[in-house]
Amino acid sequence: MIFLLLIYAFILIINVPGLIKRKEWRELAAFSFLYVIAFALGLMYVLDIPIPSPMKGLQHLIVDIFGIEYPQG
Amino acid sequence: MSIEKGKISSQQLLFLIAGFVQGSALLIDFAVGITEHQTWMVIIAGLIITAPVVLSYVLLSKMFPGMNLIQINDMVYGPFLGKAVSLYYIFFFMMTLSFNVRDVGELYMTFLVEDMPFVFLLVVFAATCAYAATKGLEVLARISHLFVVSGLFVIISNFILLIDQMDFSNFLPLFELPFIRIFQGIHIMSVIPFGETVVFLMIMGCLNRTELAAKSTFFGLLIGAVSLLGVAVRNTAVLGKTQTIWTSTSFQSIRLINIGTVLTRMDFLVGIAQTVLVFLKCSIFFYVLSAALGQLFGLTSYLPLVLPIAGIEVIIAATVFQSPVDHAMITQNAGIIYSVPLIFIFPLLSIVIARIRGLPKPEGGKEA
Repeated sequence: MIFLLLIYAFILIINVPGLIKRKEWRELAAFSFLYVIAFALGLMYVLDIPIPSPMKGLQHLIVDIFGIEYPQG
Repeated sequence: MSIEKGKISSQQLLFLIAGFVQGSALLIDFAVGITEHQTWMVIIAGLIITAPVVLSYVLLSKMFPGMNLIQINDMVYGPFLGKAVSLYYIFFFMMTLSFNVRDVGELYMTFLVEDMPFVFLLVVFAATCAYAATKGLEVLARISHLFVVSGLFVIISNFILLIDQMDFSNFLPLFELPFIRIFQGIHIMSVIPFGETVVFLMIMGCLNRTELAAKSTFFGLLIGAVSLLGVAVRNTAVLGKTQTIWTSTSFQSIRLINIGTVLTRMDFLVGIAQTVLVFLKCSIFFYVLSAALGQLFGLTSYLPLVLPIAGIEVIIAATVFQSPVDHAMITQNAGIIYSVPLIFIFPLLSIVIARIRGLPKPEGGKEA
């Protein structure tokens, strides 16, 4: 948890002051959007909260729903 | 306006593509379990099928000079459908990058530093690649030849050191496997090492001269394919039928090197070479993913996005599969099926639509 907070504090420190100084608000908004997602995922991982796998969903869609699959063996 | 201001030469594009394809040398193991001793055939077939498709990427980028994939999608499919297609590409870039980051973690966990926490390896590797991506495309392009040459050196030297252990009867009988397995093998090869070069649609717009782009792309693809072929032939000739039971066939074959009991345990060489090559591939992916998202958000620079993307990639890489077996099972089915439209259909469709609509319209003309 400590490492997660340190890493994300570091990312914040090296990006945000420059963006504010240069008044790059659109860049700051995009950064904040991705930063929140990344931090939330990191927090879920550290707290052992299950993170759904996009590939499992895709596998379900392609194999189980569309029935597209290579034969095994 | 394109998000990348740097320019690269055709020669640099050649080395970037060659290094990118070489970076998939570990991933031919996905096909080995299916195509066994005929893996060399599916690599050649994959190259023959994919080369014209990859050359169509050059044609597309020549039709839209100075533009990247996101801009081309917006222009060809319109602002809404174009964004949807771009999001599909971004999802593909994101997933493929996380798989490659995970591959390095699995490689180290299985063969080199078994006691190291998995997520720590992913963080270190992703941070290094993200750092390289922040240096820009020009820097990656300038150093790409070093990666390609060192990759070739390791492949050739290992091949020579293992010649006394090779048994070329391991390639017989030819055409033994059922067609569906060969087809699946060709599908894996045409999507994973070769088809992933669709990322270069984000880069080709930065070429300073486009006249030699097709030639450079083809030769880059060829150097990469020859490297993969060298690895596949070596593994089959050395390991024979047993290659299907190992987690990493390359590591297993290299471990057999024994020259006068002095030159032994050379598997660390494969570890280093593989890390270096996957590093180049992942750095390109990081750059492309950040630039694509930056372009989609309408930013002037992709740099602020690189580190948050690295954070997301690490967690996806750590959680997307439960085990290497799960990784292989999903990649051999859904993983290669969902990317077919992105690699084979959309670029060709874009060329046809652009031709029909007469895109890009000249300056002052009405654009989509």
